[in-house]
Amino acid sequence: MLLTALREGEEGVVVDILGSPNVRARLIALGIAPGVRIRVIKAQGPGPMIIAVGALRVAIGWGIANKIVVRRV
Amino acid sequence: MLKVIALVGNPNVGKTTIFNALTGMRQHVGNWPGVTVEKKEGIMEYRGEEYLVVDLPGIYSLTAHSVDELIARNFILEGNAEVIVDIVDSTCLMRNLFLTLEIFEMGAKNVVIALNKFDLTKKKGIIIDVEDMEKVIGVPVIPTNAKSGEGLERLKRTIVMMAEGKITTAPIIPRYDEPIEREIEHVSALLKETPLVKKYPLRWLAIKLLQRDEEVIKLVLKHLGRAKMDEILRHVGELEDYYKRSLDIVIASQKYEFLERLLRRFVRHVAEVRETFSDQLDRVLTHPVYGMLSLLIVFYALFQFVFTLGAPLQELLDGAFSALGEMLGLYIGNEALRGLIVDGIIGGVGSVLSFFPLVFLLFVGMSILEDTGYMARMAAMMEKYMRMFGLPGKSIIPMVLAFGCNVPAIMATRTLENERDRIITMLINPLVPCVARMTVITFLAGTFFPERKAIVAVSIYAMAIALALLSALLLGRLVVRGEDIPFVFELPDYSIPSWKTVILHSWERSKEFLHKAGTVILAGSIAVWFLSSYPEQVGTGTSYAEMLGRTFEPLAKLMGLDWKAAVSLIFGIIAKENVIATYNVIYGVSGEALGEVMASTMTPLQAYVLALVTTLYMPCIATIGAIRAEGGNRWALVAVMYNLLLATVVGIVVYTMGSVL
Repeated sequence: MLLTALREGEEGVVVDILGSPNVRARLIALGIAPGVRIRVIKAQGPGPMIIAVGALRVAIGWGIANKIVVRRV
Repeated sequence: MLKVIALVGNPNVGKTTIFNALTGMRQHVGNWPGVTVEKKEGIMEYRGEEYLVVDLPGIYSLTAHSVDELIARNFILEGNAEVIVDIVDSTCLMRNLFLTLEIFEMGAKNVVIALNKFDLTKKKGIIIDVEDMEKVIGVPVIPTNAKSGEGLERLKRTIVMMAEGKITTAPIIPRYDEPIEREIEHVSALLKETPLVKKYPLRWLAIKLLQRDEEVIKLVLKHLGRAKMDEILRHVGELEDYYKRSLDIVIASQKYEFLERLLRRFVRHVAEVRETFSDQLDRVLTHPVYGMLSLLIVFYALFQFVFTLGAPLQELLDGAFSALGEMLGLYIGNEALRGLIVDGIIGGVGSVLSFFPLVFLLFVGMSILEDTGYMARMAAMMEKYMRMFGLPGKSIIPMVLAFGCNVPAIMATRTLENERDRIITMLINPLVPCVARMTVITFLAGTFFPERKAIVAVSIYAMAIALALLSALLLGRLVVRGEDIPFVFELPDYSIPSWKTVILHSWERSKEFLHKAGTVILAGSIAVWFLSSYPEQVGTGTSYAEMLGRTFEPLAKLMGLDWKAAVSLIFGIIAKENVIATYNVIYGVSGEALGEVMASTMTPLQAYVLALVTTLYMPCIATIGAIRAEGGNRWALVAVMYNLLLATVVGIVVYTMGSVL
């Protein structure tokens, strides 16, 4: 499933990242890589999604969020 | 030659605060050669010895996808630094140490880790065993708290000891899966036969090749040839089939796994903090309604802070210099010399300095927005709307500030991370009408369209803004190429800024503005004084300025304008309000009387075109200076040419259409 399918407060583990090398590199550098556990803080638009990666908060546009494959936990 | 110490680290880790603590007042802000990326250098003193501290751009990793990352990467690769200080956020070790591992992979051995924000770890339920960490990581680890200054003395001492070669390190190098390690070995063996072996760590080159890093592929291709490169890339393809993912992802996620195992050896989480105060604040501040409302309030506050506070200071400085000029004028007998000094030099210096308060206040405001963490939220909220025009969310700030004055607005582009975004925002900014152009627009609208002045003025504003946004799209396609930065960024915890950092930083940046923009403004001021005073004073019809105006008359005619308009526009380059002031001089009357004279010699359509062209035609000299300070001569020239061309085309089109109607 895609990251955008998770609801506010739900957690998931990143399985894969699609998209261009540029997008992948940026997500990885921010700590969003396969195997990493994430939690959705804000999942309602307008405005970006906000997710938690450890203590870090990341704002993600919906287009990019649709490139992140996750498994719900 | 001083020994060089390089600071590297993620954004928002307190790198600037540490830089300030190490160097104190002895610093200099400039740009990295050839790009519009800020470079900060300073001198650190320790027991009588001096060291040069270089602050590398804040980065998350060392790929080739952004200018910032390339600058940092090349700096480390070239081995210029005696010591690399890696500043790490203790509360976010996983992501921060990812960069550390990449630095180690590049073969850097002379690394000191500053474990910053160490005071926050307890609050966040994280326990780090620093001694164990040193053993595991293999380089010195110094806990610091940059804001309070804790640990900085020890950090300095360790840096100096390492610079003197008194510390030996054994940085840990991440290992990957068997198939990947085999391929790394294979590629390294191929590279060993090339001259690259002398300059670069082979393991790093090999890993980057597996990740299809464009820069490294280009570099290696020169030495290895097509055939061998194709073979390597074929192997990469095979491995990707095996893992069913692209290798950059596989290598990165294995690096994270490796890191996770490392972390277990020196970090303990006693409690997981679920929802933080920052999260709660974000619910409100990025909320569709309350968020937008708070955004408007912040814009208003910033605008007021810069202009309401800055404008009186600006006038004060301007007045002081005029007074100084007048006073000096009394003592200089030679008329030519008096003109040069009073009108050219003192006038020029005065106008340079008069921008200082605006620029300084702007930098203070921007630093506060950045350091509190609000800037990232603002960027997140505006991203969607600004992206429609190919701009990032943060570029809304320069656009809004431009309604006051383009000079601080151009300086505000400095906070945009991506060089391409920075340049486009800089180029379109002069199209947004500032207060000086507002005076011209309202004067002409009031004189020629007394009944409909508001709608006329608004139509000019609307056209200018529309052209700015369309230009952003156009320039993004044509002039400035570069990859789009994907919309994903860190939202740092909200925090209280360190005032010392804010003030010091703003001061250094404003000084840089004076230095770089000042020469342009001064030169422009002297040039215009010369044009208007020789061979005869302007107003006599024989000055160079008026001759120049007549030369451009054929072009002006196409827009329905005459040489008087051309001359006014030339003087408008110094400051846009001069467009009307020049008509004062030419007709020898001012105020309402000027309006009457102009109304009898110009049609409303001509006046409308004049207002429009004044708004668009060319950035004023101070704005050109600001663009030069931020983007260099090349982009200053592009801005001038583009605006001139645009104004000419729009002027001709509007006049022709108006005549037909």
